[in-house]
Amino acid sequence: MTQHELKIICEKNHFDRHSLMDILHEIHDHQGFTTEEDIRILSENLKISEIDLRQTISFYHFFACSSRGKYTIYLNNSAISNLKGREEIEKVFIEEGGCVKNGVSPDGLIGLYETPCIGMSDQEPAALINGRIFTNLTAFRAKELLHNMKKGLPLEDMYTTVYGDGRNAHPEMKSIVRNNIRRVGPLLRPSEKMQVLKNQVSQMSPEQVLEQVKLAELRGRGGAGFPTGLKWQFCRMAEGKKKYVFCNADEGEPGTFKDRVLLTEKPEDIIEGMIIAGYAIGAQEGVLYLRYEYKYMKNYLEYIIQTLREEGFLGKNPAGIKGFSFDMRIQLGAGSYVCGEESALIESTEGKRGEPRSRPPFPVEKGYLGYPTVVNNVETFCAAVKIVQFGGDWYNSLGTDESKGTKLVSVSGDCRYPGIYELEWGFTMRDVLEMVGAKETRAVQMGGPSGELVNKHQFDRILCYSDLATGGSIMIFDRRRNVIEDVVVNFMEFFINESCGSCVPCRNIPKLLKEKLDKILSGKGTSQDLADMERWGAMMKINRCGLGHTAAHPILSSLKNFRSHYERKLRKHTDFISDVDLLEASKEAAEYTNREPVI
Amino acid sequence: MVAYIDNKPYDIIEGETILNFLRRHLGPYPVPTLCDAPNLEPYGSCRVCSVDVALEKNGRSKALASCHTQITEGQYIYPDSDNIRRMRKSILELVLSDHPLDCLTCEVNGNCALQSVAYKIGIRDVRYPDGETHLHREKDLSHPYMTSDLSKCINCYRCVRACDEVQGEFVLSMAGRGFDSYIIKGQDVSFAESDCVSCGACAQACPTNAISDVFESKSLVPRSTTRTICTYCGVGCNLEVATLNGEIKSIRAPYDAEANQGHTCLKGRYAFGFYNHEDRLRSPLLKKNGVFEEISWDEAYGIMVDKFHSIKKEYGPDAIGGISSSRCTNEENYLMQKFIRAVIGTNNIDGCARVCHSPTALGMQRSFGTGAATNSIKDLKVTDCILVIGANPTDAHPVTGAKMKQFAMKGKTTIVIDPRKTELARYATYHIAMRPGTNVAVLNMMLYYIIDAGLDDKEFISNRTEGYEDFRKEILRLDMDKMAEISGADRKLVKEAALAYASAGNAMSFHGLGVTEHTQGTFTVQLIADLAMITGNIGRPGVGVNPLRGQNNVQGSADMGVQPHQGAGYLDVTNPEINQKYFKFYGVAVPSEVGLKIPEMFDASIDDKLKALWIIGEDVVQTDPNTQKVKKALRNLDFLVVQELFMTETAKEADLVLPGASFLEKDGTFTNGERRIQRVQQVVEPVGNSKVDGQIIVDVMNRMGYYQPDYDAAIMLEEISQIVPFFKGVTWDRLGTNGLQWPVDESGKDTEILHIDRFKRGKGKFAYHDFRETDEIAEHGSKYPYIITTNRELEHYNCGAMTRRTANVEILKEDIVLINPADAQTKGIKDGDLVCVESPRGKVDIKAQLTEEVKPGVLSTTFHFPEIMINNITGDVHDTEAKCPEYKVVAVDFRKSRKQHLRKAGVLE
Repeated sequence: MTQHELKIICEKNHFDRHSLMDILHEIHDHQGFTTEEDIRILSENLKISEIDLRQTISFYHFFACSSRGKYTIYLNNSAISNLKGREEIEKVFIEEGGCVKNGVSPDGLIGLYETPCIGMSDQEPAALINGRIFTNLTAFRAKELLHNMKKGLPLEDMYTTVYGDGRNAHPEMKSIVRNNIRRVGPLLRPSEKMQVLKNQVSQMSPEQVLEQVKLAELRGRGGAGFPTGLKWQFCRMAEGKKKYVFCNADEGEPGTFKDRVLLTEKPEDIIEGMIIAGYAIGAQEGVLYLRYEYKYMKNYLEYIIQTLREEGFLGKNPAGIKGFSFDMRIQLGAGSYVCGEESALIESTEGKRGEPRSRPPFPVEKGYLGYPTVVNNVETFCAAVKIVQFGGDWYNSLGTDESKGTKLVSVSGDCRYPGIYELEWGFTMRDVLEMVGAKETRAVQMGGPSGELVNKHQFDRILCYSDLATGGSIMIFDRRRNVIEDVVVNFMEFFINESCGSCVPCRNIPKLLKEKLDKILSGKGTSQDLADMERWGAMMKINRCGLGHTAAHPILSSLKNFRSHYERKLRKHTDFISDVDLLEASKEAAEYTNREPVI
Repeated sequence: MVAYIDNKPYDIIEGETILNFLRRHLGPYPVPTLCDAPNLEPYGSCRVCSVDVALEKNGRSKALASCHTQITEGQYIYPDSDNIRRMRKSILELVLSDHPLDCLTCEVNGNCALQSVAYKIGIRDVRYPDGETHLHREKDLSHPYMTSDLSKCINCYRCVRACDEVQGEFVLSMAGRGFDSYIIKGQDVSFAESDCVSCGACAQACPTNAISDVFESKSLVPRSTTRTICTYCGVGCNLEVATLNGEIKSIRAPYDAEANQGHTCLKGRYAFGFYNHEDRLRSPLLKKNGVFEEISWDEAYGIMVDKFHSIKKEYGPDAIGGISSSRCTNEENYLMQKFIRAVIGTNNIDGCARVCHSPTALGMQRSFGTGAATNSIKDLKVTDCILVIGANPTDAHPVTGAKMKQFAMKGKTTIVIDPRKTELARYATYHIAMRPGTNVAVLNMMLYYIIDAGLDDKEFISNRTEGYEDFRKEILRLDMDKMAEISGADRKLVKEAALAYASAGNAMSFHGLGVTEHTQGTFTVQLIADLAMITGNIGRPGVGVNPLRGQNNVQGSADMGVQPHQGAGYLDVTNPEINQKYFKFYGVAVPSEVGLKIPEMFDASIDDKLKALWIIGEDVVQTDPNTQKVKKALRNLDFLVVQELFMTETAKEADLVLPGASFLEKDGTFTNGERRIQRVQQVVEPVGNSKVDGQIIVDVMNRMGYYQPDYDAAIMLEEISQIVPFFKGVTWDRLGTNGLQWPVDESGKDTEILHIDRFKRGKGKFAYHDFRETDEIAEHGSKYPYIITTNRELEHYNCGAMTRRTANVEILKEDIVLINPADAQTKGIKDGDLVCVESPRGKVDIKAQLTEEVKPGVLSTTFHFPEIMINNITGDVHDTEAKCPEYKVVAVDFRKSRKQHLRKAGVLE
């Protein structure tokens, strides 16, 4: 881009280095990547060093320093996508489209890249092409796309006009994504826009709001399950000239897509929840961090926000509440799983590499730009709205003793009815499997790769924080699937790619574990290897962040629950096989000396 | 409040980290660490420092990284439990699984954090299998100083953090993520191609040999080091110099140094190679028939004594003068002025402060009563706003400059007043780029806007100052439109900056030679003082007026009396009482007439009034303005002695050349820009037949019949402390590791901040000065419509005599002139062309660099290289008060040179 064009972009963003993500997005929208010259000009305008820009760009999956083709296809490589036929699609792109895997076709037209779960597990295989979502891909559809790309058609023309259900067809969104809502509860039931803010919150003090949330015993719905009331209270008590409410819509855990549906169907509830949180903690500003994969919703969500602003629900005195003002914006991510970690999400919003911060201080004390910040999941905000509406008591009466309320789960994989289910906590896995029409189930991955892989003897376990906790992902694998090859290997590759690389164990161990897996799969594994894997995996708990803590879970939980699958592949009657192939190692020496090794 | 270590109670400090808590109670190395470093913020990437933390005795514990986890009351810390020990071992093995095990042939063998941690933990082998590694990475030997071998990198981020947090250069960074993340330099290029400023902070920070330097500084074993003070600027960095068999191997920066906290610039750390360079003068030289011949010290002394005696006898003592050196120690400067005053009997003693900070000393003395920085550099940590006028600290005072850059990059209010877009200006909140020579106009505008907005601190003004009412009236009478027109500064910007400074809470000002080297230099300093007083920014941490001293001991040489009007301790030589005091102390009568300043000495020589001159460590030919005039003056002398390290342009003019010693070869003290007197300690013996400068002076004094004991820093300090009031409590021993900031009272207590309750002169004095155009522009401006202003480059120091004899020349090998592209276009000049810059004095050919760093109408260059001799064109105009030359405003015109190859500077006939 020209110096002038870049300057205009920077000017629009007030030459604020914290707006770097937005600036980079605009450049990428324009030309697909950032050039060295762009970096130089940005550095001058934003007063960030060139190297800082470079390190930020290099951190994110969807930013690039060189062209990734006129059309850039990011084909999802999640375990679910694999079992729904990703390979076939990829083959078409490569063989018929002349694409190169993880590179650009020689003519520079099409780039083909792998990307982890894009939140479409209920309609895989799916791909992200120039920021738009294409779901339920078939070989035929892939050929059609290639044909159109070669003709140079704009992406809009490749899209069908048969849009998805519900508000997917909204004129500001026009996506072919389907909601697949299968079971509705209080969160998903239709509700009147900003009713709670108007009717209830306006009559309550911030303390009373906080009281209800605490009474409800709501816990964070992103996966970690931290008590929301407590988080809000800490932030309320923290000192700061300003405070922030962040909505974490960086739904990156493979197999999860419930936030996608809430963002599509319930954006007003989410925003209402953010306003309520802002009221309770004393914040004036909100940021909704939207994962890049959901970019197709950005215009739509901005339209909703603008409408609410015009209707007086955002800005000064929302819904007429005196002495309170709250406004918000959307921050688009750029492809990084670890950005779903709250402090990494804040770093990213500040325009930096999404590396988790050391704690303390916690974000509720020192978060975005150093101000106290509450970061909550999309669903948590929706639940908060219902809690204020119907009372903490009511919410507390739902669910189990220590897991209150309802939970949205995203079900995918080998089942008849993949989609979104709103369940009270307390269902057994067996209930769920029956509900979704799963047959001959071999394994269920609860809570995504960072969760637990459950075997069929454990199907009576209960969905709740103290037993089978989940941030929303339930992936089902039936007897056709191999636990190690189809599931564990894929998940480990995911963690290797997504580690930020800062902590030593997280940088090295997943890689080593994957090498062990390869060894076992190649038939060279021994019982010693299993012991090593368990021992090494246990070290992950000293990493800095949640990703680091759980990055060995696929192996640890499968070793626990599917040990026989490993044992079947081990060399019999052998405790140990060296990693060194002596014959291979002595080959060079043998050549020099012209002698046959005696081994 | 207590917490427990292995179930024993210990007190805790609120907010401290577990690591700090352990260090306080168990000693410096309670747990192994890799990514932690003394001068960096906690980071927490290696996890080796993890400890078990439980909430109850022997209760369920959690492993937490001690470096960034805060301790809380009642916690039970188990720093070395079985669990932790196993875990540490595993982490170390993980690190080693991607690290070459070539310790025996590694430079840092024996001085490697990774190695010693592995040793402490007890690692014999790595149990992880060989997997994918990064051992194939190649060495980078592209740079004259910096080296890297990233196969040894353990991704601890220490170098990245040092580059960011210490130097603020942002050259190093981590690219990519996860297992594939790796250190990059610049845009992933080599050290040489990157913007690295070679400060070496990364090399010092790196725990392994992944980043080092050509001196293999990390092979340094602490017991062979000497701690001393850097010679390259007024920051006063402490250096730890490693020697082997009497030869200097490398230099590092001690972390406990107040002045530099483990940091230096490339000059301090790497540019020591000059000390035994083959060009060093190794014997006294006498010029016979235009050719220098080696003579013995006895002969040299004999000639000096004869000449000085005979000239004194024939023409009187005032026909002799001395120029002392700000690169020499306090003790040597004291001796030199004592020699001139007590032995020769004249006040014709001056030093290089004349051409740099003499207006600061004079101006601040007039306003406050003391001509030294009011505050300390560490106040940067507590101030809310910095105002930097006419200084380019990132080049000229790199360690302090880096701190300022950090300050600015944190988004704190930074105001830069400078005609050039200096590095700091690029990060500043406000950059006022006025026409060179109009400081007074800009500062008056600031004062106007502050008064106009009612932001003057009335309480401070009425309690602590005098002369405000008149001052205020004069300021308010000024026409802002006219001032804006004169200075070319944007009114709105000046106003915003003024209000930001006035309402900041604590605001600190810094200034450099861009303030002093002007016709109105002293007045500008007074206005800066006015600015501080009008806003009450005096007498507490984080405020004040703080000149950035150029040479390492400019402060000290002035303190010691190297100026014609004030003796040791700034005592007025014309005051009869003082004269008596000196008489008693020196035991001989001392003159009471003010002597000659340097430019006056040159005039006096041309007028046949000055006959002999002894110059120590200053290259006046290359660095003083109007070279041809300086040469003429020196050639007109009967006798010129030059005491030097190298055959400089000035030494070439001498009748007798004496080989002095560098800072690495002598004991003594330097006083840095924040009045900190620090110990300079001899690292090696003087090369060849050279001598410690102080000893040379002592020898001559004794031979001229004045008894002075042999040069010994401690004894000299004792003498100085008896005559210089603010040195009263200074002794060699008391100075210790980090020195003392004067005034030092009898008990040895020093002073961080001056003028706390009252000014040295009683009340602070407001002084109004209107802008006056310099004669240079008034007389020559129409014929020579451009202004050239001179400045410094990071890599070189002053005349470059020392830095040009180090590998620094590989980084920057010539003087260049900066030209705005618009001006270049008008004159048809391309980047890299030779241009001929012409002033009323002469012309030089110099290579052009086109840059927006200078505004149209302004050129900028340096005088580090004798090949260019830029001072052929600089002028004769001086500060009206202190006689500091106006290097910063020279009227010139320029064109593309007719010949496009470099030749020696020519002079207009």
